Amino acid sequence: MSSTSASDACKLLLLGRCVRAVVFSVMIQFLLLTIFLLFVNFQLFHPLNWLANTFGLVCSFYTWFASIPLIIAIVVYGVILCQEHLVERRYHPSRYRWLQHHGLRKLVFLVAHLMVGYLTVWLYTGYLHTDYRHLKYKCYGSDCLSGYHIFLLGMGTTAGCYYFVSVYLNREVRIEFPVVSQSRSHKMRELLYGTLLNSLTRSLVPTLGFTLVFWLCGSLVGHKLSQLLGVDTDERLEGFFGVVTSIRLLFYAWLLTAQILSNMHLMRRFYAILLSEDLPLTVSKNRTAFAQDQEVTMVAGLGVFHIYVVQCLSARFLFKLAHRKDSVHRQELFQLTEPGNRPANWRAFCDQSLSIIGGFTDELMDSMQQISMLKVAQNPFPVINNDSVSAALLAEKVLLRQYNHLHGIRPIVSPGREQQSDQPVLGGIRHMPNWCERVSLQLGQALKRLLHRIPGIVYLFSEPEGAKAAFLLANSLHIVWLSEGLAQICVASIKEDRYGVVQNDLPAIIKALSTLKDNLDKLGNVVGNLRGSHTSHFSMLRGSIRRSLYNVVNCFNEYLGDLVDSPEELHMLRSFIHQD
Amino acid sequence: MAALTNLKQCPPVSMLPDLALRHNHIPELDRYPKINLKNEIFNHNTGQRFVGGQRFMSVNESVLKRITRTFFDAGFLECLAEARNEATRQQAPWIGKAGDHLAHLLGFLGSLKQKVFPYIQEVGEERIAQYMETRDWATCDVRCLAWHRHSFRLAVVGGDDAVRIYLKSTNANPTVLKSPSQTQITCLEWRPLCPAEIVIGCRQGLCFWIVDNNVQLGRTTMPTQTFKHPANLPITSLQWNKNGNLLATSSIGDRSILIWEPDSGQMQVLKRLGPPGSLVKWSPDNDWLFASTVDRVFRVWNCYNEWTTERWVCGNGGTVQTACWSPCGRFLLFVSTSEPILYRLQFVPQQMLKSTDDKEVLPIADLNACSLDGNQTLIGGPVQQLAWDPHGNYLVITFKTTNCIAVFRTFIQKFDLQISAAYYLSGETATEYPTYICFQPLYNDNDRSVLTIAWSSARIQYYAFD
Repeated sequence: MSSTSASDACKLLLLGRCVRAVVFSVMIQFLLLTIFLLFVNFQLFHPLNWLANTFGLVCSFYTWFASIPLIIAIVVYGVILCQEHLVERRYHPSRYRWLQHHGLRKLVFLVAHLMVGYLTVWLYTGYLHTDYRHLKYKCYGSDCLSGYHIFLLGMGTTAGCYYFVSVYLNREVRIEFPVVSQSRSHKMRELLYGTLLNSLTRSLVPTLGFTLVFWLCGSLVGHKLSQLLGVDTDERLEGFFGVVTSIRLLFYAWLLTAQILSNMHLMRRFYAILLSEDLPLTVSKNRTAFAQDQEVTMVAGLGVFHIYVVQCLSARFLFKLAHRKDSVHRQELFQLTEPGNRPANWRAFCDQSLSIIGGFTDELMDSMQQISMLKVAQNPFPVINNDSVSAALLAEKVLLRQYNHLHGIRPIVSPGREQQSDQPVLGGIRHMPNWCERVSLQLGQALKRLLHRIPGIVYLFSEPEGAKAAFLLANSLHIVWLSEGLAQICVASIKEDRYGVVQNDLPAIIKALSTLKDNLDKLGNVVGNLRGSHTSHFSMLRGSIRRSLYNVVNCFNEYLGDLVDSPEELHMLRSFIHQD
Repeated sequence: MAALTNLKQCPPVSMLPDLALRHNHIPELDRYPKINLKNEIFNHNTGQRFVGGQRFMSVNESVLKRITRTFFDAGFLECLAEARNEATRQQAPWIGKAGDHLAHLLGFLGSLKQKVFPYIQEVGEERIAQYMETRDWATCDVRCLAWHRHSFRLAVVGGDDAVRIYLKSTNANPTVLKSPSQTQITCLEWRPLCPAEIVIGCRQGLCFWIVDNNVQLGRTTMPTQTFKHPANLPITSLQWNKNGNLLATSSIGDRSILIWEPDSGQMQVLKRLGPPGSLVKWSPDNDWLFASTVDRVFRVWNCYNEWTTERWVCGNGGTVQTACWSPCGRFLLFVSTSEPILYRLQFVPQQMLKSTDDKEVLPIADLNACSLDGNQTLIGGPVQQLAWDPHGNYLVITFKTTNCIAVFRTFIQKFDLQISAAYYLSGETATEYPTYICFQPLYNDNDRSVLTIAWSSARIQYYAFD
């Protein structure tokens, strides 16, 4: 299967899941509405009436028609979430580039949050007392603007905005894969209980915050609106005590905020639950006449680079098949295929895995070169530019430095001035710039310094140190599963690989894992200084690579001399597994 | 019950005809570290600890000041006790009466909570000791042992809350892992596929240590990572899965099993209604997770089938005292506290028995106490701990009230397990009893199984099986 068709097939599968998530999101609205109505219509002494009225209201025509705007908003919200999940993850070196790429999408997403918040309150207030239901009410024989209604609408919009800011503003939409894979129904049940309980406490802060803001600015907004609508203002919510003593209003606001936050959290988690379910992948392509064209192989899934979710799911499929006892899929990897009796499955898988791990390592090494602290540490042999030293002395110095480097002896003083200059020297002849060049150079540098002093320029347009490494670490989950799966397959090959298809690739696999481990060890010294909190991603990746390497090296310990050529590398690997 | 294997068929090791078996000592054992914690613990005796309060004269404080100070020094309960003591009653009777009312109210609420949630009790040292696999956990000198799965490293937990790491054939002092944030250690295990990472379950939660050269040089005095139980409860049982990426823990104060992914800092709760958990044991192939509780219920989680669970109940009101998996992962042996009968639960391959209902618990050995050779020495009775050798040929059992170790031969077939009494082992003196046992993992296929026994005298013994 070509990469494009695999990508299309996977996209189609994931799209189906997204549609299911939208359907769940729509269905959950009615459940949330029922819970809300059970709260607000509570009758202690007439429980049957209470239940009958509540379910009557939920099933009424009014509810079905009135909920149409909210459902449309939910569908739009779901479509944006789906797009966020399936879009290609790109690295943006500066905040400006990030803003350029994500700005509009984030804005649209914010509007979707505001709409969902606003329409939820608009729908729910329809079931409350008349004071809360309409924008205008009759006071002293004239029309007045209902402060209660305004308060609740503002609360709904604020709750939507609060959720967006706290969850999506600075972060990319990503799936959290569960630690253990439980059934969908179980996960949904746990999610529902957890969300409804947590949202009651989580909604306290936005409710109190909005109440405070409404106390400060509410009267001003009320006046403006009443002028706009040509009605009198509402004096019930004026002043601190006016707001604080409206207990019922605050209760409704708190309940509605909890509903909105639950709603948005549930929608996000529905996507996570459905998209993190296993993909129906295969190891080898079925060659029978009735085989389905849409069948996606694990290797093809690993090669869908522009959909991160597909790569993660394929890597997790590999991880599971590698660790499962008596896995039929694993045995397929070691089989020879017809025609030609070639290990086509293993070949494709091994090449793809090594390519992904190697590509990741290269990118990580490139990104590490941008980190100044590592740059200094990685340059143990600076060029010596001293015309006065003789060739013999120079050779002696180089030999001494090589000896020190080999035995891990580092200079205790910082590099001298002669090591810092890296201008090319051609037989002692240097280009001397004329006055025009010197002036233009100085002007350019002065302009650069001036620009850097303008507040916001560096923040917006410069690349933060280690940002690329942080991006790579944040998107390294597939490497975690891939490396552990690959290592376990190598270990299983000792007993299951009857044709010896794996053994030829063991040196390359060990080399790839070892190189990545070395780089991660170097990065470990500075990972705490990287932008954002990537310690957990880093420790997960580093732990996984170390365990994978340990697994392979420990298993093939007896044959390590045949697998690794370099004596230094052999020594390093042996000392890695025997840290006595 | 008469058909069951029992301990009367068990001859002492000295009467066995096979000399090779009788003399279990192999040259390899000479290179094992000689461990006796008695001396080391005496050297770090905490009994002579300086207590500052005894050296200072008391001062006269007003009642309110004294109560306030006690609240900030020792917490609410001590403050309440201070409010109700005789001195306070004499100086301010109304405070004493208010304290009485408050104490009665708290007592009533506590008893109400106890009726609604009968399993939730305060998790003290005595209660932990009740559910430990270690005999006399609260008072013994060696609380726990753990072998590294891939290299020769033995971790020994002493009664002084220090973990000592011993290496092969070194005369150097062991590496000691000790920290104020690591008290009442209940369990520990080396992380699989890691050269030197160990996790310790204790009162404060989980402490992760990396035992590398930095620790040996004395540079590290704190764990590299610590995780607390969400409800601040002690961890009473833990086990890594085979891959070393998931850690299962349980606490006798919590109904849930926690599955940790320490690298990412994530944790997932496996919730079930019922009594709190006591033991967790992962099957060797990661397919099943056995979890017992402090009541009759125990569960087996199917890790590869969406973590579904099967629930079992012990008879006669006992709880599961100890359990162990066969090396092949097809059989689980366990013993309850109510009766000294060894039970087996069989996990046959799915293709043979399609329905999971075909599993059944079968009694396979009667472990009732009996006298040895007609003299006063007894063997058997309530079981303390089980250990199955990595080759699957021997099952070793220790007891709560008798001091000998029973050794059974086991014959694992594809769909059946047979067991027969082999012999018994005893300590150097009649009063010496085993506190904890475990087998050393096999580092090579042709290695002999070595049983490690921690005796009540703080001596560690190695016993090699054929």
